[in-house]
Amino acid sequence: MKKKLASLNPGNLWKVFGIAFFVYLFLGFMLLPCLNTITQVFTVKDANGNIDPWAVIRFFFAGNMPSYVMNSLKLAVCLVITVNIVGISIVLLTEYFDIKGAKILRIGYMTTLIYSGVALVTGYLFLYDSDGILTTWLCGMFPDMDKNWFSGFNAVLFTMTFACTSNHALFLRNAIRAIDYNTVEAARNLGAKPFTVLKKVVLPTLIPTLFSLTVMTFITGLCAMSAPTLLGYDSINPEIVRLAGSSTADEAFPQARAALLSIILALFTIVLLTVLSAYERKGHYLSVSKTKAKLVKQKITNPVANVLAHIYAYVLFIIYMTPVVMIVLFAFQNYPAIRAKSLSFDQFTLINFFGQQDYEFLTNRGKVKVREGSISGLFSNDATVGGIRLSFVMSAIAAALACVIVVIAVNYIFKNKGKKRAVAMEYSMLFPWLLPTILICYSYRTYFNSDSVWYVFNNNLYMKENVRFLIVMAYTVVKLPFALRMIKAAFYAIDEELEDAARNLGASSLVTFLKVKLPIVLPSVLAVFALNFNALFTEYDMSATFQSSYGTTYAMVIQSMCAEEGRDGYNVNASGRRCASTVFIMVISGLILYLVYGVGARDLGERLERKEKRRKRLAAFKAKFHHEETKELAS
Amino acid sequence: MIDLKDIVVKFGDFEALHHINVDVKEGEFFTFLGPSGCGKTTTLRTITGFIEPVSGTVSVNDVDITNVPIEKRNIGIVFQSYALFPTMTVEDNIAFGLKLKHMSKSEINDKVQEIARKVDLSDAQLKKAVSQLSGGQQQRVAIARALVTGPSIICMDEPLSNLDAKLRVQLRNELKKMQREFGITTIYVTHDQEEALTLSDRIAVFNKGYIEQIGTPNEVYNHSRTEFVCNFIGDINRLGKEIADKMKLNPNQNHFIRLERVRVNNVKNDGALQLKGVIESREYYGLYIKYYINLGDQTIKAIEKNDGINIYEAGEEVTVCLHPADIMSYDVQNA
Repeated sequence: MKKKLASLNPGNLWKVFGIAFFVYLFLGFMLLPCLNTITQVFTVKDANGNIDPWAVIRFFFAGNMPSYVMNSLKLAVCLVITVNIVGISIVLLTEYFDIKGAKILRIGYMTTLIYSGVALVTGYLFLYDSDGILTTWLCGMFPDMDKNWFSGFNAVLFTMTFACTSNHALFLRNAIRAIDYNTVEAARNLGAKPFTVLKKVVLPTLIPTLFSLTVMTFITGLCAMSAPTLLGYDSINPEIVRLAGSSTADEAFPQARAALLSIILALFTIVLLTVLSAYERKGHYLSVSKTKAKLVKQKITNPVANVLAHIYAYVLFIIYMTPVVMIVLFAFQNYPAIRAKSLSFDQFTLINFFGQQDYEFLTNRGKVKVREGSISGLFSNDATVGGIRLSFVMSAIAAALACVIVVIAVNYIFKNKGKKRAVAMEYSMLFPWLLPTILICYSYRTYFNSDSVWYVFNNNLYMKENVRFLIVMAYTVVKLPFALRMIKAAFYAIDEELEDAARNLGASSLVTFLKVKLPIVLPSVLAVFALNFNALFTEYDMSATFQSSYGTTYAMVIQSMCAEEGRDGYNVNASGRRCASTVFIMVISGLILYLVYGVGARDLGERLERKEKRRKRLAAFKAKFHHEETKELAS
Repeated sequence: MIDLKDIVVKFGDFEALHHINVDVKEGEFFTFLGPSGCGKTTTLRTITGFIEPVSGTVSVNDVDITNVPIEKRNIGIVFQSYALFPTMTVEDNIAFGLKLKHMSKSEINDKVQEIARKVDLSDAQLKKAVSQLSGGQQQRVAIARALVTGPSIICMDEPLSNLDAKLRVQLRNELKKMQREFGITTIYVTHDQEEALTLSDRIAVFNKGYIEQIGTPNEVYNHSRTEFVCNFIGDINRLGKEIADKMKLNPNQNHFIRLERVRVNNVKNDGALQLKGVIESREYYGLYIKYYINLGDQTIKAIEKNDGINIYEAGEEVTVCLHPADIMSYDVQNA
């Protein structure tokens, strides 16, 4: 009895509360909704009202449904080839070979880091669509050209090839920079030609990274959403969204078919990730040398090959940069300029960003009509501002929530190292990684669209504004695995002796956590927050799955701008605003990446040094000013 | 001062410490010496409270502190990695313990200034980040942080092992000087026998969770109680059966002689055994030279000061003298 009373102190109460929270989160917002999706498939009722577990499966094979799966697989396989070719090229061209202007090339190749998803796809559309700038220009030159050349599979493959090299640009670059240059020199010394060195020494060390990148690219291809939706390609994800919004009156059991497709996607993902983690567990080729020499860029000695490599590098650069440059330029042009696809200084405007203008137009009957406020800037257009605000708030809450949850979880994992409960905690946080985001979102949409889920107090979370809570939960859950991997790595950097030292100096475990451990991991936590916020702020796939007018996020607004330009004199400058939106996103993402990798990566010593330099510069400036002042007075 | 009685520590089924008994006197520089995994750090962590013993007691000034929480023991620690908080300046590191005692700002400032002066840290260094200091300076910060709260005991866990050889010797001397100035009871953990011999008032030699010997550096070195101690501390020759027989030593024991006690071409009629030998090879150390001398039955190592007088070439014939008083003998089962 006494023991029982003693166990109810505040510390233990918190612990019980904390564990209850994590169990609630895992069961309530990960496991149960997804299990519901699985049962949906097997509880379909036939015409007589009897449950027929195999009805959907039969339907799947009877109709055209396998074609969606095949289309997705085709896209994934082709993407693996094209993304690897382009990804390896851009990294070799900027890091391994001595190409003139590599620094500028790298900036171009890395533009996908600051705009992706819908922003990127609409950017490509802006250029290559049937009335896109480049298509119009090209048609001017070649009148026989098919205006609709940029659609379907080829368009999706082209867009995603260049959109999905971000991971190559980050991880393969790190891998190639980690190569010990002495091994290259040794190979050369032993008589290997430059190309042989590349093939036999450099590439083998990159294989583990390339394998991971290949698997990730394959999954990206399978789960592609924004590109197929906008460019029109019948792959799995857009079909799930379409089915989820369809009704039984129009077609046979659409929900169960959507569930089946999302489960198929999940199975593919699970298999691929299992292969990946099994491969990663086998261990990597680690550099055995203690002193690494920095890689020296290799000159291409064959003059023909050198010229070809330079041409290749700059062609890629142009492909990467054209959408960015065009979008930035046209963001500052008025609507007649954009419609005419012509750039001019006279047509410079900020209207796509700020302010409103009226639109005058001639009706069929020859009357001049005025549509008030029909031309509006991104920050003056109600729908756009609403989308930005909603995305901003939801992403900020979700990114913060994911960080807080994961910091608590990781602290728990480290405190219970080697125990079963720590492993259980870790796996439950990694669980969403196994599931495609669309499965999670689709499951939320169907499972919580009912008022009989007792543990959310019988509220229908898909109804009206409630959907925003659901989206925030989906955002949070989807970002947990990434946050866990990053923050766990940061916790590994904490020297165990630091904790001992703090306790020895009189700090309680709470003070040790707040004053010693948290400041050490804080840069990583903030980085995770920023990166998650960055991704969620312009995210399209998840909110599109929810498909709710109460959850119209920024990316959905941008997507709708593609269709609504100038219709009946409304939204006359939708294309301009679309460009401005992309510029806005690039600025925000660029700023966040700068804060994370530029400012956030500095340690206390570097910050103090910078402060000291600033102080000295200011003092020198003041002294100079003072000196000139006295000189003036003297004269 | 510090009294460890019958300390037993277990990690799961593994018994890391078997009935450890140590009595450290006030103001003493006491060293735990031994190879890695011998239990010296475990003993230290038991004193500081990071490890709870299964049985036995830790008392300081006759007060049992076995169950006193870590932060209330008033024992300072200097860690092997220094464990300086990387997100704080040097000043904040030193003031950390004082702030937790809720002292006034001026009091904290005074104490930090005072200790900084004692360990030779400048005002400019106090404002710096820990990462901007050199290894030696970081060590002084760690010592200052451990001493500023006025502990009655300070524990150091291999504080010199992260430094290069030259700095290690230099800081060793500084450490000893500081300890003498502060007069604080110090427990020092190391696996480096030279460090232990130069710094300590007394040494406890650990092996596999037991204490083999406690004594002054001279006692431990010249009168090693066990074969393990005499082998662990310094280089030594084990005498073969033939030489032992010639010296009429107990055949049931193992016999050892230190290298510097082997006399080469220094014949005195003091009862030492004289043997003819040939120089096999030599190792040049600068300060001294180590010779490998073939005595027919076995090769024996000897050290000669590099004074320019007694330099021998390989192949040269020499006379080796072994004095019975220099022989250390241990029962065979003792090993």
